[in-house]
Amino acid sequence: MSRPSSLTARVLGLLALCSFLPMPSLAASDPAPSLQAETCSVEGLMDGIRRGLGSKSEAYRKYLRTLLRESAVTLPDAELRAAFERETDPVMLEHLAAALVARTERGADPEAMGVVARRILGERDASLRVASLRALRRTSGTENTGDLYERLVRDASPEVREAAATNLIEDNLHVYSGHHGPAADRAVAAAAASSDPKVTARILDSVSTEHISAESADRIKSLLRSDDASVRAAAVNALGGVPSEQMAGARETLLAMYRDEPDTGVRKMLLQSIAQLGFAGAIPDLQRLRNVDPALAPEVDAWTRVLGMGLQEWSLILREKQRSRQAP
Amino acid sequence: MTPESVHRAASPVTGPRGGRVPFVLLGLGAVILLAGVALLVRDSGGGEGAAGADAPSAQARGRLGQGGAGGSSGGGGQQAEALPPRFDGTLCWKDLERFNEGVTVGNFRQWAAPLLASGDPVVRDYLRERLTELIGNDAAHATEVLGWARDAGPREFNVIMSALRASEAVHQPQVAARLLEQGVSGDLDGARRAGILSALDTQKRLDAESLGRLADFAKEPASGEAGWAATRTIARVMKRDFNEKGNLAPYLDKLLTIGTESPDEDIRYLALSMPMHATPVLDEDASARYAKVLTSEGSPDGREAAAHNLSVSGGDKARTLELFSQSFATEQEVCVRWALFRFAARVAGRDALPVMANMAVVDARFQPLYHVFERIYASGTLDFVRVWNSLPEQDPFGCLDRHH
Repeated sequence: MSRPSSLTARVLGLLALCSFLPMPSLAASDPAPSLQAETCSVEGLMDGIRRGLGSKSEAYRKYLRTLLRESAVTLPDAELRAAFERETDPVMLEHLAAALVARTERGADPEAMGVVARRILGERDASLRVASLRALRRTSGTENTGDLYERLVRDASPEVREAAATNLIEDNLHVYSGHHGPAADRAVAAAAASSDPKVTARILDSVSTEHISAESADRIKSLLRSDDASVRAAAVNALGGVPSEQMAGARETLLAMYRDEPDTGVRKMLLQSIAQLGFAGAIPDLQRLRNVDPALAPEVDAWTRVLGMGLQEWSLILREKQRSRQAP
Repeated sequence: MTPESVHRAASPVTGPRGGRVPFVLLGLGAVILLAGVALLVRDSGGGEGAAGADAPSAQARGRLGQGGAGGSSGGGGQQAEALPPRFDGTLCWKDLERFNEGVTVGNFRQWAAPLLASGDPVVRDYLRERLTELIGNDAAHATEVLGWARDAGPREFNVIMSALRASEAVHQPQVAARLLEQGVSGDLDGARRAGILSALDTQKRLDAESLGRLADFAKEPASGEAGWAATRTIARVMKRDFNEKGNLAPYLDKLLTIGTESPDEDIRYLALSMPMHATPVLDEDASARYAKVLTSEGSPDGREAAAHNLSVSGGDKARTLELFSQSFATEQEVCVRWALFRFAARVAGRDALPVMANMAVVDARFQPLYHVFERIYASGTLDFVRVWNSLPEQDPFGCLDRHH
């Protein structure tokens, strides 16, 4: 890099002076940026994000997002809301929505999340509805946005329905660790309300039903009669994890369903949920079903063997079952 | 482009020695994964599996630590309501865009210095991730960055090692070998060696030689903080490898060796307790070795860890229950007794109740607890995780405080 200037120096015979001469090529490439900290503003942050969107560095893009969200609680509320209301670019909208949501999540402004929810309901552009929805993911949005999700799982756009399902699933898993009955009940209600079998199945397959109400369990049972096999399988899956007071009823229902169920995938899931509802105690039930469908006899035998290990945690039983299936 | 969670958890590379894996997790198995141990879960990458136990630490909401179950979580987003919240302002850095465009491995140290000195946590996270990007999959870059570890101050050191740990290049054999070499050599101080050995914990597996060197180093009498980190690295790689359907036995063998041979009680405890995070079903050999720990380990923490691990074994349940029963009778520490009592339920579920009833005869303090377990099992609950979450009191003898 210093070659051009030293060449110039030699040509000019001015080696001794060269250290005093400006060396443009060096100066242009290497001076450290004059990094100075200043107070953040809505405008400055948004400008930074807009410019940074094109950066190849994911670390930098993430920094800008994080900075806006971290700054949200101390930014002027009216300015932030105004910027959110007028934004029409999906990426920018998602960041602004995340900032507003952060204000509510941190207790700075209980209303801010509602602003986002209202925009989602009133927004005509599906990509903007999805963008705002993404900002609500892994927050308390499930319990603080009224009937938003029950409406969104019936949205005209499949992307919006999918995004709503993702939020319900991730809120339950990551915010409530699957241990909050009301959050699970909302997810079940949304699954039942959805017009989209894919959404219904995905929610029921993914949300813990450990603390659901009896009403939710009944809703799930009604989905066992769905025409869509993936919905039936997911409902069966969900019933395997119900609270102890609903276990006996779920077991009866699933045992009765096995004989007439036409779909092999659903039948496999029936075996799994029957195992979950009974642990080692389910072995006799499974044995009785062994001859109903000879193709599934090996599956029954695999369950019998794993349940016979006497493990006392469902996650471990399931893990051993999966490991056994993948063993050579 | 999903915005990250609002709630973030710090993830230092070098866990404070003695700060240990939160012992509260001893309560149970599967949910420990949930409960966090931010460090364990945070970088595990792929999911933990079908049980959905792979909660990113950030959302675990603190209280999960209480009893390791998080049974009563919920109330998303609600903070303490008594005082109006106070917030620290953030810093916006003029010229950071130019920093981002122009920074290289060559000028990183010089350029990043003022940012690091500011103490701004948001920009520090950025620096860590940017350095990971700069290292990329280039072994020469990784080696150069590792060289900085020698004279870096604490903040810079953490950024450097976190960046290396998360880089692609750390998986190249020569880079991993160099980290191991520097970590176990006597040139650097203990804290630096600990940081370097911790940066190996993202490895997908450890071959027999690396595993042997780490384990030999960890059990040396003077390995100290770095030995503690080496032990934790073995355990974390074990968990990752196991979750990817790998073989756990070689790692567990080394951890049991460290757990019985190290003269350092903290390291022994770590080696004995870490396997609980992977929750292996113990084979005959590992069961026998843990059984020996249960009857011969001098530290009560180590005996508790042994009981915890023994509660998931593939062998003869009656024999394990008998072992727990005998150990309970001779055990003097109430916290170890409490472990034997509750983990008996994890061994055999409802079938353990007669053994637990006997324990409650030996030690009357366990009478009310026995009735609680009896009632929970009578309700039809089977899963030990749910049993644990149903307990009105998960720490009836104040055992958790000892570990903070």
